[in-house]
Formats: sequence, structure tokens, C-alpha cells
Amino acid sequence: MRLLTSPLRRMLLGLLNCCEGKGVSPAKCSALRHSLLLRKNFSAKVTAAELVSYWRGVFEANKIPEAQESSEYIVSYVLGAKTFHSLSVGSLSTPLTAEQQQQVQQLSAKRLQRMPVQYVLGEWDFRELTLKMRPPVFIPRPETEDLVSLVLQEESRRSMSPLVNAGHQCPTAVPHPVILEIGCGSGAIALSLLSKLPESQVIAVDKKEASVNLTRENAQRLQLQDRIRILHYDVSSGSWEKLIPWGPVDTIVSNPPYVFHEDMTHLAEEILSYEDLDALDGGNDGMRVIKKILALAPCVLKDNGSVFLEVDPRHLEMVESWLRSRPDLSLSVSATHKDFFGKPRFLHIQKHKAGDRSCKNGFVCPSMHFPGVSC
Amino acid sequence: MYKVPVKRKFCFHFFMNASSFFHSTILLTKINRLSWRPWIGRQQKFLSPRLAVPLFQVAEKKNSWDLLALSETELEEQFVRGDGPGGQATNKTNNCVVLKHIPSGIVVKCHQTRSVDLNRKRAREILQQKVDLFYKGENSDIVKEQRAAEKKKQEKKRRTKENLEKKKHFKEMKELDTK
Repeated sequence: MRLLTSPLRRMLLGLLNCCEGKGVSPAKCSALRHSLLLRKNFSAKVTAAELVSYWRGVFEANKIPEAQESSEYIVSYVLGAKTFHSLSVGSLSTPLTAEQQQQVQQLSAKRLQRMPVQYVLGEWDFRELTLKMRPPVFIPRPETEDLVSLVLQEESRRSMSPLVNAGHQCPTAVPHPVILEIGCGSGAIALSLLSKLPESQVIAVDKKEASVNLTRENAQRLQLQDRIRILHYDVSSGSWEKLIPWGPVDTIVSNPPYVFHEDMTHLAEEILSYEDLDALDGGNDGMRVIKKILALAPCVLKDNGSVFLEVDPRHLEMVESWLRSRPDLSLSVSATHKDFFGKPRFLHIQKHKAGDRSCKNGFVCPSMHFPGVSC
Repeated sequence: MYKVPVKRKFCFHFFMNASSFFHSTILLTKINRLSWRPWIGRQQKFLSPRLAVPLFQVAEKKNSWDLLALSETELEEQFVRGDGPGGQATNKTNNCVVLKHIPSGIVVKCHQTRSVDLNRKRAREILQQKVDLFYKGENSDIVKEQRAAEKKKQEKKRRTKENLEKKKHFKEMKELDTK
């Protein structure tokens, strides 16, 4: 703490001593007290590095996880940078204006309420994109960036295959590829794919209206709205015809709720208090939504089409076993991929033959031939 | 997604604290002020993780360099994210990537962006530059380009100085004429 200048040190000590014998919760008391102290000292010359150090101390005193990272992201954001490590040496030593200090304080007050940093800042990055974030829409996780890589790799492999090219001598312009995302949330996966595959079209669906709205907003901010169709749709509802405006899709991708219900209570306060738990809770075995997606897949997916799923590491065996019990779906796990922690996180499932066309709930898929399309 | 599976270690908190970061920031300032010299024999001092911030700020002309290729099998990657189940069940914001080139022992730490994927890519770019310098020294394209740029800069200075002196001389001559 030797980096703190004396006004800041006094503030911090005042903060730590403030809650003796008061009826107010320590966190609330700390937040209030230091905000009053700070307001008196806005004119003090404080650099970015010193402010980060100060707020790290405040977060630690209030048992806020990732105290260092949180304060770095907040201060950087106020200075117009994405990360503390991308700030120039000059920015690190330039005193912040009173307005900037106030803004840091306002954002930090939210963090003190255990709000996730991504909601505090109202934005976050996913691969090369910056997306707007808003509670309770699910915050994209870094592992999911690799899910996008897998889809891109598969698409790259496919576009080089002569078989695919032979099949696409259709007179009518069917967009290629067509990707269906189930549970789009903020639009991270859908919009990443669109931005890397300029010829693609995406159908993105979510059962929550807040997600549909946020995805739409993000699509417009990134100027990708022309190639995405965003639908308010629940996979449990059936009526999948609206998912295939151009006929069967090439790929289905999803990061469905896959947390085991019994594990939900162990989640961090940030998640439990602010994120939509329906985006996480996958039922007793975490398979509820996964099964629904796979049951739907044969109706909307082309032959040899792919389903890419992010799952819990325990799901590989469970999915394989379940698919064996459902030969009518004509699906099998063709590959698994690990996340950057070495855990089996991604499943690549393929539809291997036309087979039985009946879907769950007794639906029978219509003929796969659409007028003018020979695919 | 990287083609060859990389041996990954689950990394607990070893990130530097604020005071050592500050120290390394001050050192970084000093490095930037030094005139840029070949790194042979001096790399080891700058390659510890504490100072493994990107020292190569060049964005232009990067693609024209002919650098030694890095194979994923030679790399060891770590992520500073602490404990937790990962995936949906975790929401951590520390996206720092630590990348080591095993044969040379060079380590790069990247926390430039808020995306793990981008940090991994940048870490590889930076590591590739450092490894190239390590093995090629003065023959590295990086050194050659820096020397060419320095030469150009000196040349420009010299010409500017010459022009100023010519103008000064001309002005003096003109004043003499008018008297």
C-alpha cells in the first residue's frame, strides 16, 4: 500500500474503521463512507495507477472477488481503454479529472454491490467484437470464443470440399452457409460468426425477449443486422418451421444452459444475483435443453450438417449414450474438443444419414426438398 | 483454435502485485527512452514474466517480416484465472495469457485485450518476434528494419539541418546586399 498518497491513505483507513458498532451492513457502510470521503478529494491529483490501487484496496476490504482486475477495468474504461495494460505510459501518470474520478467512483459503487464487471461497464469483448451487456442477459464466457473457432474451422473445411461445391449449383440464391444459433443471449456467437463469414446468414433465437432485444442492438451496432434473423423462440415449443426460412441449415450452434441444477447454488454471487439463471440451469443432469436441441436437429439440419455444443465436461458420455438410445435422430458425436483448461467442453455432432424423418413429439419432418434447391 | 493440442497447466494466482507492476512500469519507461539496440546478450534481463509486456509497438510492416515460425508443440500456455469449474459456472474477468517457448525459455505475458482469444493470438505474435530476435540477433528482420528506420531518421535530421543553414546563410547574404 505504499503507493497510496496520504489523502488516499487517510480515506482508506477511515473506510476500514468506520463500521464499528453501527447497525448498517459493513459493505453498505463502507461504500457510503468512502464515497463521501472521496467526494471531498476530487481535486486531489490522482493518477490512474494510484486510483487503481486505491479501489483495489476498497474492493479487498469489502471481499469483492478479482479486486485488482475490477479496479483496472473500471479505471481503464473511464480513460477510454479496454485494459490497464493497454494504457500508454503517459496515461498511467497523468492525473485524472474530477469528472473521471467521479465516474470511477460511480462504477465502483456498482462493483461493490457484486455486480459483474461486464454489467458495470455495460460492455464486454468477445473475440474481436465489443458487445453491449445488460443484466440479466447472460454474459459470454471466454471458453465460448473457442466454440466459434470450431464452427469457423468446420466451415473452412467444408468450403474446400468438392462434394459441397458440387451440391451448390442451385439456380436460386440460397445463402451459404446458414447457421442456426439456439439461445443467442447477447448475440456473441451469432455476430462473431457473421463477421468472420461474410457470405453467411444466421438465424438466432432465444426464449427471452431481453436477449432478442440485446442481440438486435448489438447487431445494429456492428452493422450486421442485414444478415441475421433474430427470433423470440423457445425450443420446447415445437413449431420449428420458422427456424428454416431458406430450408435446412448447415450448422446448429449453441451454448445452452448446461449447469447441473444441484450446482447452481455454488455459483458466485455475481452470477446468482444478476444473470438470468434460466440461461444456466440445465436441469438435474444439465441435459434438459441439450436434449431438446438434439431432438430438433434432424428436422432443421441438412444431411451431414453439424451441431456444435458447449457443455459440461461430464456431458460427453451422457450425450453419446443418449444418442445411442435415439437412433431415430441419426446423430452421433463425431468429435470432442477441450477448452483452454484442458476440460472436454465442446461436442461436434453430425447428422449422418437421412434415416427416419420423425422428430420428437410425433412431428414428421416434411420433405427436405425445397423448390429450386437441389441441396 | 490452435491445431496441435498444447500442453496446458492450470495456473493459480501468481500475478504480480501493484507495487511490482509499478516498478516494472517505471523500468518500461526507461527502456522506451533507450535508443533501440540489438538485443544479443541482453535478452535475458528483459525476458522474466514481470517485464514481459509487449515491448514491440510496431503495428505497421509486421507482415513483411520473415520470422521464424513457432510450432504449437514447442509452446506451453497458462491462464491466470484462479480456481473454479469454468465454463458457464464461472464469470472471471482475468484474461491474461502466459506463453512460453520451451526451447529458448522465453516467456511472454499478454493482457492487452478483454478477449482471451485475442490475447492468445497477440501473445503468439509477440513471442514469435522475441524468439526470432533471440536466434537471429542482428540478422533478424526486426533489427534490420529498426536500423533502416533509424538511418532514415538521421538522414532526415541532417537534411533539415542543412536546409536551415542554407536559408540562414541566404538571409545573411541578402542583408549584406541591402546595406
